[in-house]
Amino acid sequence: MSVERHDIQEENVGAYLLGALTGVEERVFERHLEECPVCSDEVSRLRPAADALPRSVTPVSPPPTLKTSLMKIVEADARERSRVARSRGASGRPRPLAALRERLAATGEALTTIRPQVAWVGVSLVLVVGIVTGYAATRVSSESGSSGALAAKVDKERVPGATGSLTVSGGDSKSGVLRVHGMPALENDSVYQVWVLRKGETISQSLFHVGRDGEGLGAVSNDIDGADAVLVTREQAGGARAPSGDPVLSVSL
Amino acid sequence: MSQRDDIHRLADEEMMHLVQEGDARAFEVLYERHGGAAFSLAYRMLGNRVNAEDVSQEAFLSIWRSRLRYQADRGSVRTWVLGIVHHRAIDALRRNLVHDRRRGSAEGIEERFEARELTDVEVVRREDARSVRAALQTLPAEQSRVIELAYFGGYSHSKIADMLDTPIGTVKGRMRLGLDKLRHELAEVPL
Repeated sequence: MSVERHDIQEENVGAYLLGALTGVEERVFERHLEECPVCSDEVSRLRPAADALPRSVTPVSPPPTLKTSLMKIVEADARERSRVARSRGASGRPRPLAALRERLAATGEALTTIRPQVAWVGVSLVLVVGIVTGYAATRVSSESGSSGALAAKVDKERVPGATGSLTVSGGDSKSGVLRVHGMPALENDSVYQVWVLRKGETISQSLFHVGRDGEGLGAVSNDIDGADAVLVTREQAGGARAPSGDPVLSVSL
Repeated sequence: MSQRDDIHRLADEEMMHLVQEGDARAFEVLYERHGGAAFSLAYRMLGNRVNAEDVSQEAFLSIWRSRLRYQADRGSVRTWVLGIVHHRAIDALRRNLVHDRRRGSAEGIEERFEARELTDVEVVRREDARSVRAALQTLPAEQSRVIELAYFGGYSHSKIADMLDTPIGTVKGRMRLGLDKLRHELAEVPL
């Protein structure tokens, strides 16, 4: 571990414990913790104070429907696991059709009981087609990304000289980090917003600013397996519920 | 005695072994013990019951699906649960899904939903809440402000620096100093 790196990361201890780092910063800091006993000890020392904060909240009763809907899903999941375990039989090998049938039955039940996720930003297919078509009509060019990364297409008129790439992390739930270079810095009342486009819906991922050097990082936190594209739009500070205009940058998945 | 009664007698950490084996009844008891605190935290951060309900449900489903990740040597079950709720609420806030956020005065709003009779446990927890709030009030205003904005408001350090027109390094310093002072204050409070 370099002293310089420690000096940079040391000041993040409080922000880390309060959840005030961005997703990318948090991952970098946690990697630093693995190799820095000084910061690790400081996090352990201050953690009880951060852990006490939720205790300061006045207790409020949750609605009974919360437990009911939650347990329907959990019980359906537990039943499915039990059925699948039984379907494997004495050999321990799954019987594909039976397991699939049971999985579909259990999944269907879970899907009908779960509350629609507020994380979905409703955008009609017509709007999405409009965005994609409108974007395609602008002059775009493909820029090469870093090794192992997906290259972004940029709107050369609105962000001339910009490049970008998406690095996708592995694992069961794929996420990614979008890196941009040469992007124009925005005024204080504007921000870049990252979206995942999936089956005609856009899901907000993160907001990011770029520095004077035009460098910026945006986190893509949703599972992007099966998604169609990652988009970046310019929005008002604080972000938007749905893209307000054509993307300045996109990565096809 | 029923299996459910047996589960109720278990300490959280023992009960988590059953949850990790996929026992839905044990998970239900886990929710009964910590669902109230989880919902209260989500409500405090998000400012309305509908969003708090959504985030609480998302968080507990995440807990069920990632139950094997719980490690007893890293902290209590309650701290683990509330940490997941906190992260989920921050995600919701940063995705700008919550538009009618009420911050700062949320304590007053909460009182309207406290109609039912308090159990002994709830009386103790309410008293504990007052103690932690009292400790927070001993902090210099600039330190408690950044802690409030970060932890309950879900704002990043850079956003807070923008909002307060203060250098990022100063904001981070206040966060750390504030937590340090809070730790000292809490050490003096009998809990």
